[in-house]
Amino acid sequence: MKKILIVDDAAFMRMAIRTMLEKDDFEIVGEAENGLQAIKKYKECKPDVVTMDITMPEMDGLAALEVIMQYDPNAKVIMLSAMGQEVMVKDAIIRGAKTFVVKPFKEDHIIKTINKVLAL
Amino acid sequence: MSGQYTNEPMLDIYIFETSQLVEQLEETVLSSERCGSYSSDAINEIFRIMHTIKGSSAMMLFNEISNLAHIIEDMFFFLREEKPINLDCSALTDFVFESVDFIKLEIEKIKNGDNADGEATYIIDKLKVYISQLKSNNNIIIEGKNTKQESVKTQYYISQSSSDKQLYKYNYKAKIFFEDGCEMENIRAYTIIHNLKSITSDIKHIPEDIIENDDTIQQIREMGFEIIFRANQSYDEVYEFLMKSLFLKELMLTELHDDGDFIEKSIKAKEASDSIKMPIIQPNQSVKQNNNTDSQGSAAQGFISVPVGKMDKLMDLVGEMVIAEAMVTQNPDLKELNLDNFNKAARQLRKITSELQDMVMSIRMVPLSGTFHKMHRIVRDMSKKLNKEVELVIIGEETEVDKNIIEHISDPIMHLVRNAIDHGIEGKDDREASGKNKLGKITLEAKNAGNDVVILIKDDGKGLNKQKILEKAKQNGLLHKPEEEMNEKEIFNLIFLPGFSTKEAVTEFSGRGVGMDVVVKNIGKVGGSVSVDSILGLGTTITMKIPLTLAIVDGMNISVGKSCYTIPTIAIKESFRPKASDSIKDPDGNEMIMVRGECYPILRLHQLYKVKSAREHFHEGILVMVENEGKNICLFADELLGEQQVVVKTLPTYIKKIRKIVGLSGCTLLGDGSISLILDVAGLININV
Repeated sequence: MKKILIVDDAAFMRMAIRTMLEKDDFEIVGEAENGLQAIKKYKECKPDVVTMDITMPEMDGLAALEVIMQYDPNAKVIMLSAMGQEVMVKDAIIRGAKTFVVKPFKEDHIIKTINKVLAL
Repeated sequence: MSGQYTNEPMLDIYIFETSQLVEQLEETVLSSERCGSYSSDAINEIFRIMHTIKGSSAMMLFNEISNLAHIIEDMFFFLREEKPINLDCSALTDFVFESVDFIKLEIEKIKNGDNADGEATYIIDKLKVYISQLKSNNNIIIEGKNTKQESVKTQYYISQSSSDKQLYKYNYKAKIFFEDGCEMENIRAYTIIHNLKSITSDIKHIPEDIIENDDTIQQIREMGFEIIFRANQSYDEVYEFLMKSLFLKELMLTELHDDGDFIEKSIKAKEASDSIKMPIIQPNQSVKQNNNTDSQGSAAQGFISVPVGKMDKLMDLVGEMVIAEAMVTQNPDLKELNLDNFNKAARQLRKITSELQDMVMSIRMVPLSGTFHKMHRIVRDMSKKLNKEVELVIIGEETEVDKNIIEHISDPIMHLVRNAIDHGIEGKDDREASGKNKLGKITLEAKNAGNDVVILIKDDGKGLNKQKILEKAKQNGLLHKPEEEMNEKEIFNLIFLPGFSTKEAVTEFSGRGVGMDVVVKNIGKVGGSVSVDSILGLGTTITMKIPLTLAIVDGMNISVGKSCYTIPTIAIKESFRPKASDSIKDPDGNEMIMVRGECYPILRLHQLYKVKSAREHFHEGILVMVENEGKNICLFADELLGEQQVVVKTLPTYIKKIRKIVGLSGCTLLGDGSISLILDVAGLININV
């Protein structure tokens, strides 16, 4: 089973993603509420894919992405963005995010995205 | 509602989290308004909260909420980026509150299983106007989204020198279509360009301004994204490279053999602008990189949210277990046996059950801070509308109360706060005339007092006018005693009677027919009491006394005949064995007893509940003096059985329906399996008065 780390400050989003992914045989190895936790959890759990929210307290998704990419240049991070965050998504791509998903998303969409990123 | 999530837990957590966020937001906005400015932390927080609400609501397909949250997010984005001067805080606050109220209302509808069918368009339109005003006031030329990105638009130029031409062997042209519904096609296109840079530095693309111009999204959807580039890789290699791009629907790759072809295409691409502009990487939030990630991470405790229903059930079960434990350890079969080892084990069991009970109780305890802080908003709205200046002071918000009780006291507190502002605090001029500070003060204070929590609602307003109260009570036929015989406290307590209201005009906020009697009734429901104290000209204090928890009380078991009753220990003042000669009778034939020079009425429980008892003479039984709100009576019972914690169960409804039994608040199971009725001291005193 592929290991996923979910990073989002909203408990609702974490649960939504978890619910979607667990149906499809992914193992959620961790959840983080902010960038700092994300970095810590990444080192602990060594996930295959990270779903990373952008706007978060303490440390945002972009900063966390940068640190994770330095730590593991092969990290596969998918950004979760919303309309209006184009510039930040672009920054994320430059910093090494594999791709992004725009909220609100459907179950099959995020699963397909994760599978594609896993196949890279 | 969404078909995607019909499952309840998602909805529950959505409602829970959004309500929490809204509360947090209200607090931030209120404190910002008090300071007279929005700090950058506050702006960031509001921005983030609205962003989260937008995302979650969109996922749940509550589009109106999502749209509204989006526009507020935009507004605070603008405030964050542009830091406009001369910001009218109060107007901004009003807008945010109007939106927050809309969201709250919708959430309430969703909670009740109704459709969230509110229309936010009118607020959104107003907000749009407000934002554009803000922008023009701030001398910003509105050029669509460009304003936002001005700061990031630092550019660099792709090398166009002729030497590049020699660097790469092949020219390619690719046309790409993305999958339908993948969103943000411009950024997807950018991703490809970004990846291509690893094999070439000579790239042109149409459309060009993919990042800056959102219109390119539509353009890419319809016409595709065209890239012209030079590379050293073979056709197959390039094809494979591009195919790795995600969300690719269609890729048409052609090799351009003619150099002129490439140049021509390049020129075409160049026509729109002189050079390809690429925003430079600019982290828009500084990375607060520090080494104490561990401490930060571990500080965040793991929380789980549990439905209250489950907690109630757990509480019930623990209650049953306390009883079962007593049934085992006090089992009549064990009497007169030598059970050293059993007793040791039983003590251990008792210790654990009592710890378990304490733990379950503590889980159910919630601080009053949430309820208290909600009052800020009420104070703000009311003082604004009534043109009064009022400050709310909160003391002891960390005091904890059982979750079920909090739900019952929130409305009464709100009512009392409204009353205090509306009827208590005077207008600014009146206050100045009477030498008071223009700023009225309302204090909300909570503190523990034994098994109760005391909540005080104090105002420094005009105080209660005894004469007015008496007149009003007389008018409404509420006086049952001659005026001269009433003491101050009794007069003040008249305001709690149904049908009493001193204010002639009914205002928007208070006195809508529901008066203080409703407050008393609601507090009474959870076993609490309300009293009032006031000094004319200086203010009024309303004191609410509420039990810490409903479920378990310390009780004294007494026997009457073969029945057993439990009196809450907190109400007992003393118990004593009377002498037959102590009893006296008043002119109506009611029994009284003299204790230390004071006369107390006697209530014989065996008469009240028609229980056959062998002990009808005073000297055979025992008197228990109980107190409620300063009134005392003595209950006559056969014997004291002992003190113990009892789990309160409500009387079965069929019993309540058959007969209105006075003086009982519930029942409980005792260790030997028998049932004991819990006496309601306030009720008993009222029978006797």
